[in-house]
Amino acid sequence: MSKNKSGIWSFFASVRLAIVLLFLIAFFALVGTLVPQREAVGDLAQRLSPALFSFLEKMQIFDLYHSVWFVLLSGLLSVNLIICSVDRFPTAWRRFRMKRDPQDEEAFKSMPLEDTFPSALNIRQAADVAAGVLKKKYRSVERSEDAGRVYLCAGKGRFSLFGVYIVHLSILLFIAGAVIGSVFGIEAFVNINEGDTISAINLRNAGQLLSLPFSVRCDKFTVELYESGMPKTFQSDLVFLKEGREVRSGKLRVNHPIEFEGFRFYQASYGAAPGGKATLALAREGGHRDAINVAQGYTFDLPGKEGTFQVLRVEENMMKMGPAVKVAVRSNKNEEVVFWIFQQIDQIKKISPDIFEQVPVFNPALFRPYTFSLLGLEEKYYTGLQVNHDPGTPVVVAAAILLIGGLMLILFSYARLIWVRIVQKGDEIVLAVAGRSYKNSAGLQKEIQYLFAELKGNLEKSK
Amino acid sequence: MINTTILSWVTFIYFAAFVFYLFRMVLGHEFWGKLATWTALAGLIAQSVALIIRWMTSYDLGIGHAPLSNFYESLIFFAWTIVLLYLLMEWRLKNRSIGVFVMPVAFLIMAYASIAPGVNQKIEPLIPALQSNWLTSHVLTCFMGYAAFTVAFALGMMFLIKNAVDNRSSGTSVFIRRLPSEFQMDDLMHSSAVLGFIFLTLGIVTGSVWAHYAWGSYWSWDPKETWSLITWLIYAVMLHARLVRGWRGKRMAIMAIVGFACVLFTYLGVNLLPSLHSYMM
Repeated sequence: MSKNKSGIWSFFASVRLAIVLLFLIAFFALVGTLVPQREAVGDLAQRLSPALFSFLEKMQIFDLYHSVWFVLLSGLLSVNLIICSVDRFPTAWRRFRMKRDPQDEEAFKSMPLEDTFPSALNIRQAADVAAGVLKKKYRSVERSEDAGRVYLCAGKGRFSLFGVYIVHLSILLFIAGAVIGSVFGIEAFVNINEGDTISAINLRNAGQLLSLPFSVRCDKFTVELYESGMPKTFQSDLVFLKEGREVRSGKLRVNHPIEFEGFRFYQASYGAAPGGKATLALAREGGHRDAINVAQGYTFDLPGKEGTFQVLRVEENMMKMGPAVKVAVRSNKNEEVVFWIFQQIDQIKKISPDIFEQVPVFNPALFRPYTFSLLGLEEKYYTGLQVNHDPGTPVVVAAAILLIGGLMLILFSYARLIWVRIVQKGDEIVLAVAGRSYKNSAGLQKEIQYLFAELKGNLEKSK
Repeated sequence: MINTTILSWVTFIYFAAFVFYLFRMVLGHEFWGKLATWTALAGLIAQSVALIIRWMTSYDLGIGHAPLSNFYESLIFFAWTIVLLYLLMEWRLKNRSIGVFVMPVAFLIMAYASIAPGVNQKIEPLIPALQSNWLTSHVLTCFMGYAAFTVAFALGMMFLIKNAVDNRSSGTSVFIRRLPSEFQMDDLMHSSAVLGFIFLTLGIVTGSVWAHYAWGSYWSWDPKETWSLITWLIYAVMLHARLVRGWRGKRMAIMAIVGFACVLFTYLGVNLLPSLHSYMM
């Protein structure tokens, strides 16, 4: 394979292709941030001529990140990565498996450090001291002796030879994870009114409904606001049901999704739902006071059975005078009175004391012998949920771990071999240190200098 | 607030450090270099104190969070990481000549944070999506990456200036002679870009983990995400071109500058586009 490389093989194995592809992907990504994508395209449709617009649409310019172009580029990059890694991996493997030869005189031919100095040690002792120093820095040390010379050999960072392949593999996994996600994944959303149950979600891309194999009920939605009116927290109390049985319940908060049967539910948004509740108090002249929870459309009997009343409207802020409820009271004689009940009626009366004369329907005591008052409104919300199912996620997680690990290997480690040669010349010792690395020769040179100084210091002071 | 007062003073301290670095380059006395280093260090300490005060103040306000949550705070933190990284480099390399190119960047960022209209200096409570442990690690790693790319950019500018002057005239000025050798600058530029690349990778990964928890998708082609990918790709090209195709010097310098332009667009330009990250403004 490596001997007889065809043109196509070397084309796909080239780094030049990788550089061109990375540039092209960057360029397409850039275009995608400038041209409106997907839902955002509507505005542009009116400004461009129909012919141009439909041409661009056919070219998939408005969904670039899922377009043929992007798939093509990712595909080419994958092929490029695979071929170039397969092409180069055998070399890395050979270097990884290479047997260390302590007596490699070749190594000492390039840039060795050498010095002759007196030492009280004989060659064996000197070699022991040197081996001790080497062992501290490099785990394993090989030793060999030949005709009055001692050779030591040590190495480190062999695994960093694989760093680049781990990174390449991670990129392939990212692409694979994205493909799995886009083919088998689901991106959807659903709004649930408080108290309601849903069993279908809206798919984001297709605009269709997808039925779930279970249903979800939102019992309660709560939102807490800062003084500025910005939301502080919001959460939904969700219940998951299968065949009518409650299987699981939980509080869904922003940043804390809930997973159920492979679907992940995210708290995305919220809003006001129609049909808020109100608490009314009915006071009977000389009698006692009743409190009732009501909602729009509800009909109740009056406590003394004088008739019925119906809640017509629940307003959060009626004519800027605060919360109010509109009711119709129908007596047993079939006479009907309609009026408003304001929560802040006392303040309203303070500001305009003759309000009941001006607007009689604002009088909550229009139906004798009762006086209605509004104790409070309980707003009703809907909760907006994002629902996702992405089987590609574990692949992407693995890819991210490999990517970071691979980069760390490349950055913080490099493969090198170190040789030490000790020769005795009478009372003196000749120490030589050399090394070999496939990259970072500057770093290796520095390392050898430090090692040499340390070895020399140790050999000189040992007695 | 006391923290913003300190921070606006830090702006002037960084400017002074820049002027001292410049004096050193022009006058050639190492006295100015030492003064510049100590000034920059004093600025960094003052800025750290201000950041800690701001952090504590947010707890006193009952909305405690790390000072990394709005545009103002991100600018301040950006300048802080740049000066920190630069001083570490200066200390390790025993070379002060990069300061004259790095300090003005830090100064300009601080000045922009202090005086630009529309930059809100108030400590604000966090919206629910930002209430996550991933906020700190995401912002921290991203800005460490940005800072390393800033240093690479400064080195790229230095390289191009030296390269242009060397080619033009025979008698070079003191300023040019005091710059590191072209080999050294090229090496440093590469190291800074590698460091930035690792941090940017960590920033993107922490960001997508967070997005997975907050938005339901680890990647949604939001403009900020896309631009961070573009930046990542540009630096990936830069590192490959050097390692495998042997690009050196001028080409690397141009790549460092193009990469930095992408960083700036990722950080600032994206705010002009509709984005999920829009709360940064």
